[in-house]
Amino acid sequence: MSRPDRIRYVAGAIVLVLVLSGPAFLNLPQKAILTTAMCTALVALGLDVLVGSTGQLSLAHGALYGVGTFTALGLGTHGVPWFAAFAGAAVFTALAAVLIGLPSLRIRGLQVAIASLTFQQFAQLIPAKWDQVKFVGKTFDPPSYLASVTSQYYLGVALVVVALLALAGLRRTRGGRSLLAVRDVEARAAAFGIATGRTKLFAYAVSGVLAGLGGALFALQQTSVSDIQPFILRRSLLLVAIVVIGGQRSVVGILIATFLVDAVPTLIGNRIPGLGFLGEPAQAIPALLAGLLVASIVLQPEGIGGVLRQFGDVLGGRQAPLSARPTETDPVESAARATSLRQVPRPLTQRLPVRALLVAQGVTVQYGGVLALDDVSMEVRRSEIVGLIGANGAGKSTLFNAVSGLAPTTGSIRYRDQELLGAAPSSRSARGVARTFQDMGLVRGDTVRENVLLAQSWMARYPAAAGMLALGSTLGTERELRRRADQALDLFGLRHLADIRLGDLPYGTMRIVEIASAVASGPDLLLLDEASAGLTPDEAHALGDRFLALRDELGLTLVVIEHHVPLIAATCDYCYCLESGQVIASGSPAEVTAQPRVVESFLGRGTLEVSV
Amino acid sequence: MLSSIVLGVAYASAYSLLAVAVVLIYSGTRVLSLAVGEIGAFTLYAGLYYHQHGLAGWKPPVYLAALFAIVGGGVLGLAVERFVMRPLIGRPPLDSLVATLAVALFLALTELRLYGLDPLNAPSPVGDGSVKLSGATLTAPELTILALAVVVAVGLYLFLTRTKFGLATRATTSDPTVARLLGVRVNHVYVFSWGVAGLLSGAAACLLAPIQGSLTPFSLTTALLSALAGAVIGGLDSLGGAIVGSVIVGMVSGVVGSRVDPTTSAGVVFVAVLAVLLLRPRGLLGSPRVAS
Repeated sequence: MSRPDRIRYVAGAIVLVLVLSGPAFLNLPQKAILTTAMCTALVALGLDVLVGSTGQLSLAHGALYGVGTFTALGLGTHGVPWFAAFAGAAVFTALAAVLIGLPSLRIRGLQVAIASLTFQQFAQLIPAKWDQVKFVGKTFDPPSYLASVTSQYYLGVALVVVALLALAGLRRTRGGRSLLAVRDVEARAAAFGIATGRTKLFAYAVSGVLAGLGGALFALQQTSVSDIQPFILRRSLLLVAIVVIGGQRSVVGILIATFLVDAVPTLIGNRIPGLGFLGEPAQAIPALLAGLLVASIVLQPEGIGGVLRQFGDVLGGRQAPLSARPTETDPVESAARATSLRQVPRPLTQRLPVRALLVAQGVTVQYGGVLALDDVSMEVRRSEIVGLIGANGAGKSTLFNAVSGLAPTTGSIRYRDQELLGAAPSSRSARGVARTFQDMGLVRGDTVRENVLLAQSWMARYPAAAGMLALGSTLGTERELRRRADQALDLFGLRHLADIRLGDLPYGTMRIVEIASAVASGPDLLLLDEASAGLTPDEAHALGDRFLALRDELGLTLVVIEHHVPLIAATCDYCYCLESGQVIASGSPAEVTAQPRVVESFLGRGTLEVSV
Repeated sequence: MLSSIVLGVAYASAYSLLAVAVVLIYSGTRVLSLAVGEIGAFTLYAGLYYHQHGLAGWKPPVYLAALFAIVGGGVLGLAVERFVMRPLIGRPPLDSLVATLAVALFLALTELRLYGLDPLNAPSPVGDGSVKLSGATLTAPELTILALAVVVAVGLYLFLTRTKFGLATRATTSDPTVARLLGVRVNHVYVFSWGVAGLLSGAAACLLAPIQGSLTPFSLTTALLSALAGAVIGGLDSLGGAIVGSVIVGMVSGVVGSRVDPTTSAGVVFVAVLAVLLLRPRGLLGSPRVAS
């Protein structure tokens, strides 16, 4: 165990002991204040699932907290047992959160946050209409074992601990990886087999469940609610402040920030030692924190969590420098790894040898008034390496996007004699089509191994919620996927970099990680978009050997977009040249590159006059 | 009925002013600003406070307080641009949105700390006259805000389409990098957007507060939410869209809000925003880029 890890575990243990023994030295009001802060912590952790992990901003978590509280109250005051009231609050709040998240299916911008604001404004007015009728004179009476402040405190601790475990589970499994992909590379996440819309709604639902549980705990603690202050707009904004000051994706930072914003002002009562001029803490501290929030965004965007991380790095001391380049691999071991990577859970009908793997006919892609592809037809036979050449803007990447379902396409693209157009973009990787992007489609903020796991998403066939709670065969599936991922990393000599953040690697290595990820997803057809871009001539030459190895050892069929003509000539069986969205030549690389139109397309028109 | 329509028109005008400020900043900088409500409220608070409690024995008249709110709003807008937003250029849009939220929160909580939660009485800076119009009464602030909304809309439209700086602003909207390469001082466009937005915020604050009767922390931010809803409905990068959307939201708030109840009107606005984002994400008059 590394030194920072040891410190982390010791610190965690101390905090846990302090929290658990808290009731021994805290007085009643203090226990109640901390329980309320735990409610807020649940809501803030839920908000961070959206803000930190998915890149979605909700400005309605105050209202969602209220939805949880009033649902639990409504159920609890009508004789429903407390745990059923909690479950009801979680489910109903999740539904409300999904409603707020619906626009994210259509739009990637921050307008979704505005929709949540209008929800906030609407929802905070609702209690005014019926609290007189439904709630006055009725209380949510907990059973005797939950009636004491201390037992509610422990219920709060238990809920927060369960939430932390679930969030850790989420991070380790398919769901969490999908969220990050949506946050960082949303337009490309489908190529990893991720259904982006469903992923976002899942994030909203998880967020809603946590907000609902926070609300339900609050309802249990208060037994009746006459004041909607905890649920109004100001509260929603403060929750965002808690998440940002705490640090996105830093649960420890968020818990600390919650404590500072929610508990400290009430705990210290009417005076701030030495800071009396600021006035009442209940008013002064939120204002101070809002100022701190402004400064934090500008100067320390990673918040408290970022400070803790830097502190951990300092304690950890200098790491031994790693070579950021792939290592040499042993051919015999590689062959064994390749065989193992070819074991893919795909039905037999999708693995049978066919002659033409990919047949495109009359493929046309139009963006507004621009015709990016105009009636393109091509065929890719099994075990071929097919080159795609052409000047910039000829439509090569657009053709890949059409195959991946990322471009508005008409015509027909059949893979293994099944039509791809019209099928969900995220269904490609399960069928056996993988690709890389010209400018990297991976999550730079995540580790190399996590990115490989991300590319294998389609093989993680458990529901995201099951992964979060480690239910059923999730753990077994994850172990198997990790084994596969490590094998793919071994195959490409990247194993020693598995735990490095992708963004910290040199560009050439990142490109190889991308190819390794695509290969790990177990494709039959691999589309490589300018794999040689940014590589030195030596590296580009080595890339040619890699193409051949991918075909011969892994049995892959390759379509490669390349500008490096010698690479095409050395590796490709067949070659298409595109110009202005049309195929202008096809045949063997030698035939194609000899055609005057192709030469003209690359070098321009006109005769070359050489005077001596 | 007529009086609720008058109220709707007043709201529509106030929301238009704020929505124009939002669209101006969004067009110039691609930032959705949640701060342009509270900026004006903050300076108006200061102005009204001294109007009521005096400053070194002298009580400035209310029109001076309003003038201070408007000019101060402009200055505060510039300060926010310089010290908060400019360092964030190049960071994810989420960071910028949260920064504007942080500014709004800071200003509103500071108001709360300095002046308390009790509503501050907000007298009209343009006198207490009124016009009777077949049964409905139009007060001076209502008339002024309507006139101001029209003048601002026409003025900004002319400015953006007829002047060189307006052209530079539009060029920056469509692509800041290209605009910079063409010799546009993009920073000037950012400064201009926030400065004008601050002025509009101050003006909206000192006319809306008397219409609502008083000023409270967050009251202008709440109005801004309606304006934002209007801007999203109309299309975030379209001046005309912002106005159309604000008129829709303003009329709903005025008419449904006073004929039925505020909860229903807020519900209608929420459903409208949801429907627009699901059916036509770019908004009624927005450009396709808004939705991407």
